[in-house]
Amino acid sequence: MNDVFETVAYISRYWFVFVILVILIGLIIVSVGEYRRKRKAKTAKENAEFEEYEEEHEYSEEYIEEYSNEYEKAPEKREIKSFITKGSAGIIIFLMCLFVLSAFTLLTFANESFDINAIALGLGICFAIVVLYLVLKKIYPSVDRFTFIIPMFLTAIGLVLQYRLSQEYGVKQFIWFGVGIVAMFIAIEVIRRIKSFGKLNYLFATVCLGLLCSTLIFSRSIGGAKNWLEIAGFSIQPSEFGKILFIIVSAYFFSNKRKPRVFMPYVIFSVVSVLILVVAKDLGAALLYALTFIVMLYAATGKKLLTLGAVGTMGVGAVIAYYLFPHVKTRVDIWQDPWAVHQDSGYQIVQGLMAIASGSFLGMGLTLGYPSVIPAARTDFIFAVVCEEFGIIFGIAVIAFYLLIIIRGAIIALNAKTMFDQLLVFGVTAMLSLQCFIIIGGVIKLIPLTGITLPFLSYGGSSMVSCMILLGIMQGVAIKSEARQ
Amino acid sequence: MNELNKQIKIYNTAKNMRLIIWIFVLIFILLIGYLFYSISTFGERWFLTPYNPRISSAKSNIAAGSILDRSGVKLAYTSNGNRKYAENASARKAVSHVVGDTYGLTRGAESFFSKQLYGFDDNIIDRVEQAIKGNTRQGNDITLTISASLSKTIAEKISKGAAVVMNYKTGEILACVSVPGFDPTKLEDFHDDNESTILFNRATMGKYAPGSIFKVITATAVLESTISEDFEVECTGSIEIEGKTISCAGGTSHGKVNLNRAFDKSCNVYFSTVAQKLGGATLQKTAERYAFNDEFLFSDIILYKSIYEQSHDNFTLASAGFGQYDTLITPLHACLIAAAVANGGNMPVPVLLKNETSAGGSDLYTMKSKTYIAPISKSVADKLKSMMLSVVENGTGTNAAISGKKVAGKTGTAQYVDKNGEMKENAWFIGFLDDEKYPYCVSVIVENGGSGGKNAAPIAKTALSAALKLKD
Repeated sequence: MNDVFETVAYISRYWFVFVILVILIGLIIVSVGEYRRKRKAKTAKENAEFEEYEEEHEYSEEYIEEYSNEYEKAPEKREIKSFITKGSAGIIIFLMCLFVLSAFTLLTFANESFDINAIALGLGICFAIVVLYLVLKKIYPSVDRFTFIIPMFLTAIGLVLQYRLSQEYGVKQFIWFGVGIVAMFIAIEVIRRIKSFGKLNYLFATVCLGLLCSTLIFSRSIGGAKNWLEIAGFSIQPSEFGKILFIIVSAYFFSNKRKPRVFMPYVIFSVVSVLILVVAKDLGAALLYALTFIVMLYAATGKKLLTLGAVGTMGVGAVIAYYLFPHVKTRVDIWQDPWAVHQDSGYQIVQGLMAIASGSFLGMGLTLGYPSVIPAARTDFIFAVVCEEFGIIFGIAVIAFYLLIIIRGAIIALNAKTMFDQLLVFGVTAMLSLQCFIIIGGVIKLIPLTGITLPFLSYGGSSMVSCMILLGIMQGVAIKSEARQ
Repeated sequence: MNELNKQIKIYNTAKNMRLIIWIFVLIFILLIGYLFYSISTFGERWFLTPYNPRISSAKSNIAAGSILDRSGVKLAYTSNGNRKYAENASARKAVSHVVGDTYGLTRGAESFFSKQLYGFDDNIIDRVEQAIKGNTRQGNDITLTISASLSKTIAEKISKGAAVVMNYKTGEILACVSVPGFDPTKLEDFHDDNESTILFNRATMGKYAPGSIFKVITATAVLESTISEDFEVECTGSIEIEGKTISCAGGTSHGKVNLNRAFDKSCNVYFSTVAQKLGGATLQKTAERYAFNDEFLFSDIILYKSIYEQSHDNFTLASAGFGQYDTLITPLHACLIAAAVANGGNMPVPVLLKNETSAGGSDLYTMKSKTYIAPISKSVADKLKSMMLSVVENGTGTNAAISGKKVAGKTGTAQYVDKNGEMKENAWFIGFLDDEKYPYCVSVIVENGGSGGKNAAPIAKTALSAALKLKD
């Protein structure tokens, strides 16, 4: 029985790699095809619109001359609506369900007993995704299906692995997913109704700093970092929610006050946020906030020198931190040669690398790996688990999915109608992509490891809910832009 | 007015955003590329680390395959769920470092070929077949290129040190001995107290000062340079460089020596003089062409890096010229250098895994010979070969001569300071048989063995003579 199961699990790895590649290729083909078609159709329409626009507004020659250079440089503005037609989206969701169901069927027979909960959870996930998709389409016809389907698939992969690592946590994560969906709907509604948060932003900034400080004062330390807060039996990670406020505040300040002197209070706010995180030893979040700040600074102002200055300041800060804080130095030393310290400080990363290497290209097969030996397997090191059980081809496909979300987010940002919306979506996109890069890069030893969750895949209520809110913000802006047309 | 202004602002941010998105796309491609690169380059090694829990867990539910030597002698096998090793205790010890152990304490075949032994590389059909039959999963059997009898013969001759015998045409390692060896059946309660170094594979991990065997490399640099082979140095037994004295072994003065004579007599004065003439950069380049400072990611064997440090003044350069300074080499690498000279300038990839067969008897893998690098041209290799033949014929290596066979070699006596601060000497010999039918090369190091010509060359002779008697 056991051998038969193992053999099936071993063979099933081909199936999983096959399905994810089909989904990935499907998404790429559909998106590229749609992109070309829309572009053709739009160019004709746009030219007509633009001429009309020019006729309506006449300006003094001086004014036009002043801006004509920039005007020429500005690329033509394209409108790209939802890429995926109804039919192809249906097929992709069908494949996703097939993946989820086959994975959970396998998990049903793991542990030499028939685990009915596994298949129930699998069905529940498929049901949730399909219903959610239909409801979302019904309420918001202009919802961006791309930014919905990919995160749902990533979440589904996450749930499979969470359940495989621990049944209890798998179910918990599913509940958090439900909470996240509610949060996503609230975020969509809020974002599509408001124009900007106005003076509320000062409150947001204060709350954000308060959240970040709260860990310093009340938290207990998990894994050397003080980034958890215990409230009524729940462990929450304030920096996850601080992220959302941080982006909103950044978007507000940059959209209204783009002269460096004027947004000084905001700069101080950002620097203080990062410093608090460094003191709390939450280096991953500190790096994430700092990089997001720099990226948004450049996007909003386009000032190269200022941005380089910010990068330089951050670099100097990092060097000072290296010499000042022993834990920063340790991280860098481990990164340089984790194998030399594989029994103590480098244990985690070595276990992660060994897991990835053991999976090799096709993986060891779902349930056949040993991810439980990796510290923080279900949170920070979930990517190592993905690679171990599904293989690095699958892992690369997961990275490609994140890349698609980024590109899709960028398109939503470019189509947004106001500066605030544009910077908001861009901030969300930037933060998600930086977060993926920081943790995946850390796990595969491309950059020094700083602990942070992998969006949608890692276990954690705070992470799940905050990622769903970020998704809601993207969708909200997408819906708003479409509605205003 | 305001409307256009706003539009232009948005265009500008759009431009900035596009740039940043492109950067993100690039870093993600970097992520994918690095993941792919690191796993395809180091994946195998990372998986095979002895402390990988996946391997130890496979041990509990998969019957590991057998490890055989080249003539079919069982070196390790599984019987009734227990791992057994060769009957003869001294043979067990002689091959211990190549075979390894099941506890993951050493990096021999038991852990390095665990992919094969535990059937991690099984194909689907085999797996399905085994599952249907309901058998306990069986790993695959592997045949190594080493010969247990040859290993035993060599191990008995060495008090402490290492020796490697290799086929320089195919790269097959016939013996790779590290003394003292360990008994794999007595490791269960073994605690490494750092004093006993029995688990340490001297042949592949031991880094020793090469001493005079490095003169092969310096001689290569001379042959490739504008320095004439007939360039002569007056050897008075010692030479003063930057206030420090370099002397020949025993203070012997060799008189006027050219390259051939200096190589025969292993004259330090000559080689330290030409090293200075060649310059640090040339010597380093030549050493690195011979794979010094190379990571050696061989698929069959873990070989530690040999080190050539950049010299920083004339004295260190002169010392490097005859293999002292900070240069370090592993015995297997020394053997590979001899192989390159013997094999017309081509250094083979060392081969340890001869073939792999499944429990069902089907062949899964057969060794392939490859050239690792070609450090020198055929003509330089031929010149070096005649110089090395002359060393055994009438130089420092006469003790390695085998009657009726053309033996080439180079001796070395490398000085080192042991942990008590005493000056000791390691005896080195590298060499080969210049023979189409028996293309064997050898390297021998005897720790604290004194003169290479006196104490390492005879062992090389024994090793090569025993290798000549091998059936195939």
